[in-house]
Amino acid sequence: MSFRIRPGKRGIELRLHDLEAVIMEVVWSKRLTSFAVSEVLAELEKRREIAYTTVMTTVARLHDKGVLDRVRDGRRYLYSPKLTREQFLESTAWTVLDEAVGGQTAMAMLVDKVSEASAGELDALEQLIRQRREELGS
Amino acid sequence: MTEAAFPILGAAFVLMCVLPLCSLLAKGVLWQLEQGERGGALHELDLRYAVLTSASVLPVVWFLSSGLHQVWSGGSALACLLDHGASEECVETAFFLLALIGLTALLAWPAWREHVAPPTASPDVNRALSDRLESIFTSHPALEDLRGRVRATCAPDFAIGTHGLFRPRVFVGTAFAARISDEMLASALGHESEHVRSLDPLRYVVLRATQAVNPLGRLLLAPHVARWHAAREAHCDREAVIRGSSPLPLAEAILQAARPSVREQVALGARDAVVLTFRVRMLMAFSERQPSRCCDTGPAVGQGVLLILVLAIVLPGQIGSTVLDTLHAGSEHAVHYFVR
Repeated sequence: MSFRIRPGKRGIELRLHDLEAVIMEVVWSKRLTSFAVSEVLAELEKRREIAYTTVMTTVARLHDKGVLDRVRDGRRYLYSPKLTREQFLESTAWTVLDEAVGGQTAMAMLVDKVSEASAGELDALEQLIRQRREELGS
Repeated sequence: MTEAAFPILGAAFVLMCVLPLCSLLAKGVLWQLEQGERGGALHELDLRYAVLTSASVLPVVWFLSSGLHQVWSGGSALACLLDHGASEECVETAFFLLALIGLTALLAWPAWREHVAPPTASPDVNRALSDRLESIFTSHPALEDLRGRVRATCAPDFAIGTHGLFRPRVFVGTAFAARISDEMLASALGHESEHVRSLDPLRYVVLRATQAVNPLGRLLLAPHVARWHAAREAHCDREAVIRGSSPLPLAEAILQAARPSVREQVALGARDAVVLTFRVRMLMAFSERQPSRCCDTGPAVGQGVLLILVLAIVLPGQIGSTVLDTLHAGSEHAVHYFVR
């Protein structure tokens, strides 16, 4: 799965665009484990007017992003979610954390460059903690 | 000369060729595991540890078991029959076993010796720490497991660390303890209690030993070992918070332990700038959102590893010692080829 974090968004929208998030909410809330585009369309049409091709394109994009699996069923595809909503959010949280600190990239750096933290770096980290304390206090 | 070929060349071949090849295989598996999305950097820690150590342990166990089966059963020893005639007693396999055990022990020994606990402080100093710990244990029931397992040490520059392979104890440097608050000490003990619970000193020593017996493989696996170590320390931070330690005091204790005056490497984990930043940021995130365990496959991995280890011990006796015989014959033919 490859994602770009969307600044200013929360929950699953951190990683999914608006319609993608709506579709995944439908999939998870209706517990659709194997579904065709038409089933999602039927659910969405209860809430708003939307074209079949729009839903089909978005579902295909979710598959490209690795959120959905799919298998061919005659002339159509049957899709299934790779993760539960909780697993997806968990994964998102770690991705956000990784983004914030360089995460896996930072870990990978250990290979080539191990540098002891200097007093200045430790001071800067302590300063961050103090700020967080103040934010939580206020 | 020929009789010495198998014990010496065979053992060297296992350590210098078979183990690195297995390490290459392990590197591929680790690379795949480290790409895992769920759990991020802390993904599949137990499985990664099993792969890191198995690359050295399994081949050595296989050859030892194969040799033992052959010696006990007086079995195949096909190479002996072919090369020395049936009348001669074939003892090369026994010498091969001795050489393999000897070389492995020789290479692994420094890793075991490195694990030395710091000297315990005098009873008076210990009593002073005990009084402080008593109030911490009372207010933090999750740390109850550590009661009777914490020692003070006056070793210079020692912060806090867990020592002891089968019955780990937490050692707290008196100077370090004096610098930090009770809340920081309680959180640091929470981190160490996960090391105690998981027998991490034993895990670390076994990992170092398996790397030591496999010098070429160590070069291949070094990045993965470094990542595993860093992730393991972060895992202990997360476990500490899940069990009730406060994340921000723990982050502060980690930074105190990493101060240049403290030289103890096991003090609350690494002193590497990148890893420290990662852990502190992670703990800051935990101050907003309680962490949860993710991707914990520990028991399943343990059972899987046990099964594979049993197979490595039992299989050579069941399927015969073809691999060992090939190594035996190959060593002797190589000597013939180069010496004639």
